[in-house]
Amino acid sequence: MTSPDTARPRATDAAGPAPPQGPAPAAAGRTPSRPRLPWRPSGTDAVQTTASLAALVLMILVFSVLDAQFRTWGNLVAVVDAAAVLAVVTVGLTFVLLLGAIDLSVEGVIGACALTVALLVANSRTGLDLGVLGVVATVALGAAFGLLSGLLSTRLRIPSFLTTLGVYAIGLGVATILFSGERPIVGDPWLSGWASSKFLGFAVASWVAAGAILVGWLIQRYTRVGRYAYAIGGAEDITRLSGVPVARFKTAAFAVAGAFYGLGAVMATSQLGSGVVTAGSGLNFSAIAAAVIGGTLLVGGRGGVLQSMIGVLVLTVLQNGLILAGVSPYAQQAVQGVIVVVAVAAATWPVRHRLGVVK
Amino acid sequence: MRKPTRQRLAVLTGVLAGGLLLTACADDGGTSSASGDGGACSPEDVTLIGQVRNQTNPYEAAWLSGGDEFAESVGLEQQHLTYDGDSQRQQEQIRQALAGSGMECAVLNVLPNGDSDTAPIVAAANEAGAYLVTQWNKPADLNPWDGYDRWVSHITYDGEESGYLIAKALFESMGGSGGVIALQGILDTSAAQDRFAGLQRALSEHPEIELLDEQTAGFDRAEALNVTRTLLTAHGEHVGGVWAANDDMALGAMQALEAAGATGVGVVGIDAVPEAIAAIEAGTMTATVSSDGPWQGAIGLAMGYCAATGELDVADVANDDRAFFAEQFLIDQTNAAEFAEPELNLDDVDCANLFTRATGPIG
Repeated sequence: MTSPDTARPRATDAAGPAPPQGPAPAAAGRTPSRPRLPWRPSGTDAVQTTASLAALVLMILVFSVLDAQFRTWGNLVAVVDAAAVLAVVTVGLTFVLLLGAIDLSVEGVIGACALTVALLVANSRTGLDLGVLGVVATVALGAAFGLLSGLLSTRLRIPSFLTTLGVYAIGLGVATILFSGERPIVGDPWLSGWASSKFLGFAVASWVAAGAILVGWLIQRYTRVGRYAYAIGGAEDITRLSGVPVARFKTAAFAVAGAFYGLGAVMATSQLGSGVVTAGSGLNFSAIAAAVIGGTLLVGGRGGVLQSMIGVLVLTVLQNGLILAGVSPYAQQAVQGVIVVVAVAAATWPVRHRLGVVK
Repeated sequence: MRKPTRQRLAVLTGVLAGGLLLTACADDGGTSSASGDGGACSPEDVTLIGQVRNQTNPYEAAWLSGGDEFAESVGLEQQHLTYDGDSQRQQEQIRQALAGSGMECAVLNVLPNGDSDTAPIVAAANEAGAYLVTQWNKPADLNPWDGYDRWVSHITYDGEESGYLIAKALFESMGGSGGVIALQGILDTSAAQDRFAGLQRALSEHPEIELLDEQTAGFDRAEALNVTRTLLTAHGEHVGGVWAANDDMALGAMQALEAAGATGVGVVGIDAVPEAIAAIEAGTMTATVSSDGPWQGAIGLAMGYCAATGELDVADVANDDRAFFAEQFLIDQTNAAEFAEPELNLDDVDCANLFTRATGPIG
């Protein structure tokens, strides 16, 4: 990284390909016995991903031993179906985290989008019945919220921490206005079917999530928004000096993220059966935690959509496993917190020296 | 950017000091008049204020609309205050609402955020001389008859009774035997604890019913959906009923049951939100309990209004009526239609009927 972390000199070589062998002189004094691995940026990520996967596998093994129910096919379906919304939201958030920015607007955007989609498809309050078009419009609204976050952050040069917090409040406000005292109950069988109908054993929403993950991965891999997100997150100044219109691509990344939140809201609404202002409650924290556990680090430029999905599974398996293992509801929250911290520590351990300054 | 001169500073200090003195005097005046005569307000001078957490849940929305309806019936308007479950903000709103002069004719119908938030609200209202009715939350050792002549009453509901009523309805619908799962609310709230105690009382009366599992879903619909999904994997077809500490969780559980294709599982909740009542009418949900939100929103204002206009003398109200459990209603398929459109019956909030719903003192 380009962080001015003099205490950890090895942190500097993440910006470019490292020399193929030999420890840096300063580092040699610190860890004389450890041979230097031939780090390359992709290699670092690979190690990180392995660590995250190991944490997930370990967790699955432990819960399988603790509870026979956990090992069943039915429970696998339950875990996947439960992970669907968090997965889609985390795909979106990953794009923002890759920039080195943060997005705290998730719950507000989801609230506004959940009410919007519930009011646009057949429902108990408005006479509308837009079906697919309503879903598309909702995803577009999510993207518009993302665009707003992006524009505020890049054009007004306000830290994303603050702009997205503002957009969170705006989203929740819009949701409250749309709610106006009466919850719209979804009456569209097609949208309700996302949650209640199965396709090849899994809920339709899970397939929608799989499709969204694929789209997210393609955007990350093959579009300039995705590629530049890594460059911007890795070294924004250098990217700017190379002639990349950084502000434009940052804004675009926020908009992409917003579109995924919109889709997440649609899925949550189909599961909940009505437009709920707090449909996204707790999702923002979970999505950030999932991304970091998976290896999409808050410093930016590292990780990616697929890595984040490992974190999503870790969190969902954890929630599911703790209930099945019979951990008392009074202790569950604390146990969950401890395991999340341990999982993050384990997942980031191999690359901790390249994380630069931790704030 | 000029430097403040010594003279300017002196003037500034003087103004500030004078201001402080004035405020102090005004405070004194307010306190002395507050303890004075009550019931001297003409109806049009009364200010009605309703304060709840937010307007995004149907229950509190119904509360405010009940208040509006009462206000309209006496030719006034209710001022809405919502604090988003933020205790700090609630106190700030109360302070601002009571900041003006002539607060002797103000009436506050307040839902304190938590037990500990009630004391400062009571103190502020008494200081300003405003009439106050609190609902749901108050510390056990703080009572209106301990020298608070403007705190008309505290109304709450026996959560143990609510939990018991719905549990009985659920067990009956299951034919008196089978397994149930329980979805608790936020564990450290008295609402969650009392309601769960009610379930346990019902369980002790029905040895044929087995409590398969209890989990918390934080009164939240999305969380209840996920928790129920997992519990259904764990207990499968043994689940004959779901007991939820509120309707939102019950509705979340119903979505999980539907997604899992489980039919014939009874679901009960508390609060009587419109969606739950619709589900009961449709036969997909078993029962819920209503505290009658519109009545709650109106009765607090009515009590204060009657006291302010002299139709009710707070000093004459018995202690048992100044902190009481109000009547609650079990809603099942037989009477769901009546509750489908929660409406305020103005007779219930008439000055002569203010305490008819009291079922007993708190404690």
